[in-house]
Amino acid sequence: MKKHTLVGPLSLVLIWAVITKLQLIDKFFLPDPFTTIKKFVEPLINGAIIGDLFSTLERVFFSFAIALILGLPIGLLLGRTKKFYQSIEFVVDFFRSTPATALFPLFLLIFGITDMSKIAVAGFSSMLIIIFNTAYGVMHAKKSRILAAQIMGATKSQIFRWVLFWESLPQTFIGLRSAISLSLVIIVATEMFIGTASGLGRKIIDAQIIYEIPTMYALILLTGVVGYLLNLIFIIAEKRSLHWCEK
Amino acid sequence: MNPAISVQNLKKTFNNTEVFQDFSIDIEQGKITAIFGPNGSGKSTLLNILSGVIKGDENNFRIENFNRFEFSYIFQNYRDSLLPWRTNFENVSFPLEIQNKSKDEIIQKVEELEKLFDFKFDYHKYPHQLSGGQQQILAFMRALITSPKILFIDEPFSALDYENNLRLREHLQTYFLTYKPTVLLITHNIEEAVHLAEKIAVFSQRPTRVLEVIDNPLPYPRTLESHNIDQFHQIKNRVLSIFQKTANL
Repeated sequence: MKKHTLVGPLSLVLIWAVITKLQLIDKFFLPDPFTTIKKFVEPLINGAIIGDLFSTLERVFFSFAIALILGLPIGLLLGRTKKFYQSIEFVVDFFRSTPATALFPLFLLIFGITDMSKIAVAGFSSMLIIIFNTAYGVMHAKKSRILAAQIMGATKSQIFRWVLFWESLPQTFIGLRSAISLSLVIIVATEMFIGTASGLGRKIIDAQIIYEIPTMYALILLTGVVGYLLNLIFIIAEKRSLHWCEK
Repeated sequence: MNPAISVQNLKKTFNNTEVFQDFSIDIEQGKITAIFGPNGSGKSTLLNILSGVIKGDENNFRIENFNRFEFSYIFQNYRDSLLPWRTNFENVSFPLEIQNKSKDEIIQKVEELEKLFDFKFDYHKYPHQLSGGQQQILAFMRALITSPKILFIDEPFSALDYENNLRLREHLQTYFLTYKPTVLLITHNIEEAVHLAEKIAVFSQRPTRVLEVIDNPLPYPRTLESHNIDQFHQIKNRVLSIFQKTANL
């Protein structure tokens, strides 16, 4: 961690503390940071929030897994054949641009008020991002490396496995990182608006409805931490697998 | 004469610019032929057509016993043709992997080449950890690992400092004298051409013709001392005088 990393978050907490201390905002709407942090730590220690945390993580995991398992091969395939990509580009772009929230009712209709509908809608949107980025990565692979392999007599499948796949990896990782973040966003949103018994989204909206405002803030914070950590895992994985990149 | 590559009346036009029109040349087997000519005279285009990278408008050429696995082409932009995600070893062995050679065979080949070059890489490292000169040597080793019978080289030394340039010339000669492949070498440097080649083909401006193929009988191995021999200067001057006429200098 860099020397100045903590300056930003600490200043933010300080400003927050000053605002609440001076009662610039009604305490009811903005509790002080210490109460909030207490509400953040307590349920983690006594385990009250762990079940919800795991429900959310489980849904994110499954939606991301579906997106990855379907999106990666489709993206590789699309990128490999330009005509195939061009024929499907509009469809991918269209649904990628359609807000996932607009698709909730459709997925509800198909899967009912189950976990599957939440996972499916998050998985679908994340998959499009993975497809798009992977295909883009393959299509914009350096021609010189493909050419070199061709001249050496490599078969199409060898070029695909040994050159194109690797060439696309940096862009693929960008897609994966965006996809995991989007999965979390959509899962939390569906937990709020599609009925469920557990999950961080559900708890946030519950806290707001019954005016447990410190708890609401604490849960928002927790969701933020989850998002940050998921992203961090991918950054670390990316650094490890792409150590050779752009040097 | 026994041509390894024979080009007859080749035609190639790019956007209404005629690069080749009735272009013909024979390349002798087992010799280094340097191609020297003005910019835009289609030197790289010729290598690209012969290697199948691009198509001529009329493909009137013949390469004797052409086998993809016994052919190598070293590009000018070697940095872009190395695979950065592979270790140095995996880069050198890449052509043999394509040919589905066994691990033992690959190791044996790499060792053979190392001995020939008297040069050892840190094979666990990656290309980006090497200097530009070392990367070019890596690209050379990768091209030579298959013991190619035909070798195309496009401006191999242009990006190198003088020390690495000389080292690579020496490696190329060592390899050439051991395996006697047919080498087609594009260069912008007359000295380099006379240092390495047995035949120097001077190209004209577009539409390209072969103005003359100059013999260079200086004995191999040629060293920096060879540059001091009168004959070296005579050949160099001969090439230069033909080039001056076509380049209107």
